[in-house]
Amino acid sequence: MSVRSCVPSLADSATNTLPSGLGLYIHVPFCLQKCLYCSFYSVTNQPDLYNRYAAAVKEQILRFAERSDIQAQQVHTIFFGGGTPSILGSDLLTRLLKNCFLNFDCAPGLETSLEVNPATVDQAALHELRRAGFNRISIGVQSFDDRELEVLGRVHSAADGIRTVQMARRAGFSNINLDLMYGLPDQDKHKWQESLQQALSLQPEHLSLYELTMEGNTPFAQRYDRGELRLPEEEVVLAMVATTEEMVTAAGLHRYEISNYARPDRKCSHNINYWHNASWLGLGPGAVSSLNGCKIKTISDVECFCQPGANKEERETLDNEAAFRETVVMGLRMIGGIGLEELEKRFAINAISYYGTTLDRLIAHNLVTIEEGRLRLTGQGLLLANTVMAELV
Amino acid sequence: MKNIRNFSVVAHIDHGKSTLSDRMIQLCGLVADRDFQDQLLDSMDIERERGITIKSQTVCLPYTAQDGQEYELNLVDTPGHVDFSYEVSRALSSCEGALLLVDAAQGIEAQTLANLYLAMENDLEIVPVINKIDLPAAEPEQVALEIEEDLGLDSEITQQCSAKTGEGVADILEAIVEYLPPPEGDPDLPLEALIFDANYDPYRGTVISVRIMNGTIKPGEQIIFMHNKVEYRVEEVGQFLLPKTKKKSLSAGQIGYIIAGVKTVSDTKPGDTITHKENPCATPLPGFKEVQQVVFSSIYPITSDDYEDLTSALEKLKLNDASLTYQKDSSAALGFGFRCGFLGLLHLEVVQERLEREFDISLILTVPSVKYLVSLQDGKEVVVDNPTYFPDPGTIDYIKEPFIKATILIPERYMGAVMSLCMERRGENTHYHYPMPGRIEFTCELPLAEVIYDFYDKLKSVTQGYGSFDYALIDYRQSDLVKLDILVNSEPVDALSQLTHRQRARERGMKACESLKEEIPRQMFKIDIQAASGGSIFSRTNISALRKDVTAKCYGGDISRKRKLLEKQKAGKKRMKTVGNVEIPQQAFLSVLKSDQ
Ligand SMILES: Nc1nc2c(ncn2[C@@H]2O[C@H](COP(=O)(O)OP(=O)(O)OP(=O)(O)O)[C@@H](O)[C@H]2O)c(=O)[nH]1
Ligand code: SF4
Ligand SMILES: [Mg+2]
Repeated sequence: MSVRSCVPSLADSATNTLPSGLGLYIHVPFCLQKCLYCSFYSVTNQPDLYNRYAAAVKEQILRFAERSDIQAQQVHTIFFGGGTPSILGSDLLTRLLKNCFLNFDCAPGLETSLEVNPATVDQAALHELRRAGFNRISIGVQSFDDRELEVLGRVHSAADGIRTVQMARRAGFSNINLDLMYGLPDQDKHKWQESLQQALSLQPEHLSLYELTMEGNTPFAQRYDRGELRLPEEEVVLAMVATTEEMVTAAGLHRYEISNYARPDRKCSHNINYWHNASWLGLGPGAVSSLNGCKIKTISDVECFCQPGANKEERETLDNEAAFRETVVMGLRMIGGIGLEELEKRFAINAISYYGTTLDRLIAHNLVTIEEGRLRLTGQGLLLANTVMAELV
Repeated sequence: MKNIRNFSVVAHIDHGKSTLSDRMIQLCGLVADRDFQDQLLDSMDIERERGITIKSQTVCLPYTAQDGQEYELNLVDTPGHVDFSYEVSRALSSCEGALLLVDAAQGIEAQTLANLYLAMENDLEIVPVINKIDLPAAEPEQVALEIEEDLGLDSEITQQCSAKTGEGVADILEAIVEYLPPPEGDPDLPLEALIFDANYDPYRGTVISVRIMNGTIKPGEQIIFMHNKVEYRVEEVGQFLLPKTKKKSLSAGQIGYIIAGVKTVSDTKPGDTITHKENPCATPLPGFKEVQQVVFSSIYPITSDDYEDLTSALEKLKLNDASLTYQKDSSAALGFGFRCGFLGLLHLEVVQERLEREFDISLILTVPSVKYLVSLQDGKEVVVDNPTYFPDPGTIDYIKEPFIKATILIPERYMGAVMSLCMERRGENTHYHYPMPGRIEFTCELPLAEVIYDFYDKLKSVTQGYGSFDYALIDYRQSDLVKLDILVNSEPVDALSQLTHRQRARERGMKACESLKEEIPRQMFKIDIQAASGGSIFSRTNISALRKDVTAKCYGGDISRKRKLLEKQKAGKKRMKTVGNVEIPQQAFLSVLKSDQ
């Protein structure tokens, strides 16, 4: 195999336009401790698996890299997500990233993101990771209130969060995202404003702000069902949403997706590629690839994933209409919506005639609008996104 | 013919009829063990899900008895639930004998009695069977005593078994051969075939289940259906082996099926007689007693495009469920539909589910009602089973409502609880006696409207599962009724109206508002719900507007799962009916009648 070495330049990539190449996602399914609300696939206390895991990912990389349809495309973004990728340590992460650079045709200056959790990286590690080629870092701080962090079952403190951001800056990261959650048990509007203010004062280029949701079988959902958790009233959550918009905008960040805010040049290209329902490779247990309209899921079981040769995959192919509808609802997550012409070019379906009166009704109810050839959610529609999407899916 | 036995298995609900049928099927080697599944004859999805039998099922068992002779045993497994007693009575009409099962731990219950009486009315020979003797709580001696003393049946021939373990089942097969009589009839007389059931097969037309009383039928012969004199040519006859198996002929005494290319669904009527065109029988067989529907509700397709499909679905379902009645109906809120009569609320639910599953139509059922007799001031009397057509109260002289006589069997200690339940439901004229020490047979006259919904559930809960209940309509009695209207965003919704006793109107109105608040999902605007009667509103509530419905996170790995959730949300919407601008889900219509839990 020819070695297509491409160490990305330090320049940050422009991310405003529609991504045309492949995204590459690597799922790292390990965490220090399971957070109480989390329904992601990850396991704890398995450091002996890290090397075998890395070997299995490498195997997957090699297998994909052999495919001619993948060789024909450039990788435009790389994203190490989890779980807690930083738990692997900078050596393993550096090795894995090198494997990606070596085996895929990577665009120059591509966006290369790494998720880290506070208290899992030190200054030295962050320097090494920056030097290895990661140029975007996403820090799961979740809250800047120690009591809230405890309720969530996070392993770190608010101070750990702040320190991690400062260290990342010192390590040379000029594209930092912070994950924060609102609508937490016993949180009021004021407490949320404090957390958010603390986040903004660290001057991140990007913010992901998620409302807490009760998922499936998590300990949180169980406690909630037993009536042991008091979530803020809908009124309060709506007030949080409103204040968020004001504070974040004032800080020079713009909302570009339901839960994502960024400086204009720092939107996350990797995620935008998902919302375009374009093509990407997903490696690691539980990750999903999307290639030529076919979704391929790798088995969500680390043990099984680490068995050499045993790569269990599930495939799902949608017909053109279903893929079209899926693309519409994904696209509506972005504040800028979807370009109708582009959509028609891609699926040979005209959205306006396809949805007919359903769309008329949504427009009449002021939930969506069509402006300058783009279909998008209105302010009201953003709050009722699922109601709208359930009409269009 | 002397080697044929036709018998039904009858019992109170859950006493193990279908399980015993399983064991007999296996003992006769009709199904390979690897193809076997529990309650094999409960073939409909709803039967398997609910674990109850809804339709009678016939199966033909080839059996070699201990005397070395080959027998043909036609077994009919019947449902035990009170709503389906019509299925039992039709099954009995094709049999000479019955196995009456009694659960060794529960003893005699209300449908044990009801089904025994049915069997006796049909002059059937009865073999009592005490089942579930494997249970730790089994008291077979006690139950044997009850069978002898309370039911007056012959304890000499009473069998004991565990349908679960199979113990005693071989002896039951011998007892069937020994104690039940073979059919009578003459294969050389003119053909008399009683239609006792039917099923529609889209490829072959109606598959007709018959009991041949006299004569012989073969493929190629011309037959006529006596009620409407239509003529068909027999394509195939056969027996209910598993799977059903083609035979050269069916003759007097046998149970089997006929396929004759009958595509006009209404030609086949359970209870009708089939005879030959040449040399017909003189008169049809007596057929079946008309059933009385007790609960009425209107069915509407959720999408009005489905109306045609619903029409043909009802016709086909009626073939397989002779106890259902329907006629055209329309509603201001819901458009065109059908007013249907049911034997009870379980029957109603079953019909709804079968229409949805077997015919793939989403339906709305309106609030169920009983049939009232309304005497007008001008001397006329009108029958009202639909609140929509309730006359202007100013023109009404008086109203009568149907009463039932309930027979309730309970251990003595629950007497107080059952008495107060009946009083709460406007019961009158209570009596009781002790058929056995410690057991009470309690009778009470109650308005039918008070028992249709959840009386049985309530009875079960106040008696910790020990109470059982059977009922029969007795008469109509004068009653003070009012129409209760429900207004959604100030618009009355005719499909949510109900007739109720004046004293219960307020309570029911409040209850209806609460149930609707529970069942109607929040929508983009506030929804007012009011209960009113005669123009005065006496209960109100509202559903606040939906203000937030959004998924926070959705990235590459979640897309499929999130899409499926949205699709589910979409499918849920499809099952709602838009009334005015409010989307009302299917279950809301029935919830209005549910009493507090
Ligand atoms: N322990 C024990 N359980 C039994 C026996 N026979 C039946 N059952 C159980 O009793 C329950 C009801 O059995 P069915 O055979 O469905 O009863 P059924 O009389 O056909 O009920 P319906 O058709 O609904 O009236 C099931 O859970 C059976 O497994 C038995 O001999 N012993
Ligand atoms: S660190 Fe992230 S992935 Fe791991 S358990 Fe917590 S929320 Fe889940
Ligand atoms: Mg049964």
